[in-house]
Amino acid sequence: MIELDQRIAEQLTEITLNSSLQVRCGASNSFLVTASLIEPLINEFQMGGVYISASRPAPELIETLQEIDIPTDGIQFIDCVSSALLGGTENQFTNISYIDSPIMLENILLRTLFHLRQMPTEQNFVILDSVNALAIYNEEKMLAEYLHTFINTFRARDVLSAVVTVPDQTPPSVLANLDLYCTDLVDRGQVVIS
Amino acid sequence: MLGGAQYTRDRCVTGIHGLDEITRGGIPYGATVLIGGTCGSGKTTMTMEFLVNGAKMGEACAYFAATEPSVKLLENIRQYTFFDMEMVDKGLINVFDMDVVYSWLGLTKATFDRDDINSLVKAITDIVNTIGVTRLVIDSVTTLCYKIPNDQLIRDFLFTLGKTLATQGCTSFLVAEITSAGAKAHWSSFGVEEAILDGIMVMGDIDRMGHLLRYLQVVKMRGTDHSRAKYALELTPMGVMMTPMLKWGVDTS
Repeated sequence: MIELDQRIAEQLTEITLNSSLQVRCGASNSFLVTASLIEPLINEFQMGGVYISASRPAPELIETLQEIDIPTDGIQFIDCVSSALLGGTENQFTNISYIDSPIMLENILLRTLFHLRQMPTEQNFVILDSVNALAIYNEEKMLAEYLHTFINTFRARDVLSAVVTVPDQTPPSVLANLDLYCTDLVDRGQVVIS
Repeated sequence: MLGGAQYTRDRCVTGIHGLDEITRGGIPYGATVLIGGTCGSGKTTMTMEFLVNGAKMGEACAYFAATEPSVKLLENIRQYTFFDMEMVDKGLINVFDMDVVYSWLGLTKATFDRDDINSLVKAITDIVNTIGVTRLVIDSVTTLCYKIPNDQLIRDFLFTLGKTLATQGCTSFLVAEITSAGAKAHWSSFGVEEAILDGIMVMGDIDRMGHLLRYLQVVKMRGTDHSRAKYALELTPMGVMMTPMLKWGVDTS
């Protein structure tokens, strides 16, 4: 059993619903950081939400969260990875919807808004995992523009947004924009000195 | 439009996510709007949602199906949660097969002359008057205009139809099938529709690295200020949803 980072839960108690959280992590601790973020949102704050999975297939993520007893029923997953894999969308989970490619950024936003409209919970979150995965497919300027729109869209709707990024794999101008537009920072980035 | 408007026309609120914001409150009442779109761009879904939202407010609506039989149309549209077959059963949404309308009128010829066109306009107007239709869709006007042999007659037909529907207070969407929606393309099939009608919306696809993103753009709308930007469009089970297209992601070719 992995030990969740309780400092993230503590930090969450200090932010408002219309906050936008920049979550910096390293390549090796990204699951620990995202799990430590989701657990209090679901269990402590009783929130529902949308998880945009661009780093890995959503079924794999759901199974891993369930293994550490984090309930996933209240989360709608948007999987941007599996449609590119033949047979990747065949699984037993009903709370996953698929986007053809991470390049369809507007569709990711619209799908998120659609799921939020259907959420039974009053207070909701959106987690974007991750900026560096989107950066593989999208041009720097477009990604920076998208994050600006993304963050402001959810701030205006009182939906807590968390944008996960691995700083050393994210274009500097995109990272600078995140610093500018996000209201809060969870920094669990790992510096590797070679 | 600069400064504050002195007079604002009453609006037909479409209820379509994003569209009423784009048109600053809805389509001006009685406007006849051309919806020019490529195949698969969402024309039928959006126009049907326009009617459903009217029916939800108790308005009588009419849909003239010229490209596919009404049975097939309704079967396809039932997958959307916004649609309720009860609206058809209660007579709030009235779907007419154009082939049946032609048969009623005895219009069996391959091409229509002026008299045929007049009787067609009269038939549509009679239906609007009898049922009290306030929202109307013809899908598609292109299919209908293929039967009209020249541009002058097409122009006359659309002008008379638009004028008559406006007089009845009926806000109408006329669907036009176009083959491409790029900057140099026509917004209509015959090139004459766009000059006569009150509004033009274009629906098409942007090719982003091999993936097609649907978009909608309001090119013209008489009687209201409106956005002329491109909006990304998604067909969700709840209906159409729109968001501004990313400026760095719009195809400028």
